[in-house]
Amino acid sequence: MKIAVCLKAVPSTTADIRPAADGKSLQLAGVEMLVNPYDEYALEAALKLREAFPGSTILAVTAGGDGAAKCVLHAFSVGADTAVQIKAAGLSARGAALAVAAALKEFAPDIVLCGRQAIDDDQWEFPGALAELLDAPHLTAVTALLVAADGKKLSCKRRFNRDEQTLEATLPAVVSCDKGLNEPRAATLKGRLDAKKKQPALKTPTDLGLDPAALISPLRIDTYSPPPQKTPGKTIALQAPEAARELVRWLREDAKAI
Amino acid sequence: MKILIVAEFAVGALKKSVHELSSAARAVDAGAELHALVLGPGAGAVASELASWGVGTIHVGEGGFETYAPLRWIRAIADVSKALNPDAILMGAGALSRDIAGRVALRAGGSLASDCTGLLSGGGFKIVRPTYAGRVTVGASFSGPGPLVATLRANAFSIAKAPQSGAGTVVNLSAPLETTDLRALVTASVQAPGTRPELAEAAIVVSGGRSLGSAENFKLIYDLCDVLGAAPGASRAAVDAGYAPHSMQVGQTGKTVNPALYIACGISGAIQHLAGMRTSKTIVAINKDPNVPIFKIADCAVVGDMFQILPILTEEFRKLLK
Repeated sequence: MKIAVCLKAVPSTTADIRPAADGKSLQLAGVEMLVNPYDEYALEAALKLREAFPGSTILAVTAGGDGAAKCVLHAFSVGADTAVQIKAAGLSARGAALAVAAALKEFAPDIVLCGRQAIDDDQWEFPGALAELLDAPHLTAVTALLVAADGKKLSCKRRFNRDEQTLEATLPAVVSCDKGLNEPRAATLKGRLDAKKKQPALKTPTDLGLDPAALISPLRIDTYSPPPQKTPGKTIALQAPEAARELVRWLREDAKAI
Repeated sequence: MKILIVAEFAVGALKKSVHELSSAARAVDAGAELHALVLGPGAGAVASELASWGVGTIHVGEGGFETYAPLRWIRAIADVSKALNPDAILMGAGALSRDIAGRVALRAGGSLASDCTGLLSGGGFKIVRPTYAGRVTVGASFSGPGPLVATLRANAFSIAKAPQSGAGTVVNLSAPLETTDLRALVTASVQAPGTRPELAEAAIVVSGGRSLGSAENFKLIYDLCDVLGAAPGASRAAVDAGYAPHSMQVGQTGKTVNPALYIACGISGAIQHLAGMRTSKTIVAINKDPNVPIFKIADCAVVGDMFQILPILTEEFRKLLK
């Protein structure tokens, strides 16, 4: 089975990300970049699939600026066979899907695994857009994944509003992964050493036959601003019964929230 | 301006998101030509309700939409979009839009803006959306090509009744089934037990942190929820400790909520958690440590022991709200 896994480098979840003073860009210099947490579930799912289907190969694909190298290194260190790193900074989710679709053409994967959302732009756009470009079905935010023994079908579970859904799909397919699907493994020391010996195929959008201008979103960002600051609110520091009753009064009379 | 709304419904009534979408569309352009697309068994029955929200033309698809197949929904929306050529397609930010909006945008030749908290007209559209899990707010403009596909965050847009409403014109979709649309298909669906509201849509959320100490102690949260008609939430630490399911997690790697009232119990307020709830209209935090970060964004900080306060709070509201 040919397994592709898509990884994106994103700022650490604890990073202090602020708009620049002019509000036209973000201050990202020096911010630690990590593999998008949801993509880690995709990578683990890829490794589990290769274990279930011996002889499978895993291709890790990443697109982006300098942080992308971190994704490649991590993928190699847990055992990805090959990797493609598309060098293109500032890609939109759509742009990344266009670039990755082009990069996957030759590999022709049976299954493409990715995270349900990137935790930087929070668009939830990449997996569906990639599936559209590959003309494959997509399955969003799955928490269980089983590929049939014949390697032609898959069955997934997910939460959809109030429902626990079971989905079935034919391969090739694009699957986006949610927390709960698996527990991503950490790289071993040996894995980390081996990873240094492997090199990704480096591609530019032009190498992939893409017009770099086509990778820029028509949705033009005008401003970046911090979230509205809150003024400090009321404090209640009383014994439990009085505190509870004062909170009830405040919620009803002052906040008019209940 | 022409705007197409993807209308979701459940048990014979429109979801609240549709009230928000139609209100937002009329706020963008009071004279907008409003269309709605409603898919699934019973879709025709909500047509008159859609008309009362100011929708002029209601595109209804019932046959062949009994079982959810993402590609079938995408084709139906994209086909209507191609026929109408709308300026925007609006969906509620939720499970459906997260599944299909990106693909709809691509197929309809437009662009996606997810989870918008603001939508205005102005040389096309101006949108506002939180990114980096709420740490940064982006203002963006769009003037084509194709429609803006915008998903609107629940509780972020005010609801206004239509000043006048007609009967609405119902158009039945002729959407022949294409077998390639069934390449992914829901084969079983079981409703999660309970009658509590969906976390992402709830008007009130009560969340618990790891300091609750066990799954059993989350009963304190559930009891208050049931009295208030609230949805229960949890911090990532509580979920990782196994006290609550991931479907309850609020924050950067869980759900983003935007309720009118958010009550955080025993939650210190890690940046990942604040990211998922900071836009809540009123925030109450209960914590025995007066220095927790969540108190900085709380409208009301209750310094005290939640194990003592929560049962009394629940009892007080039980008496008041019965």
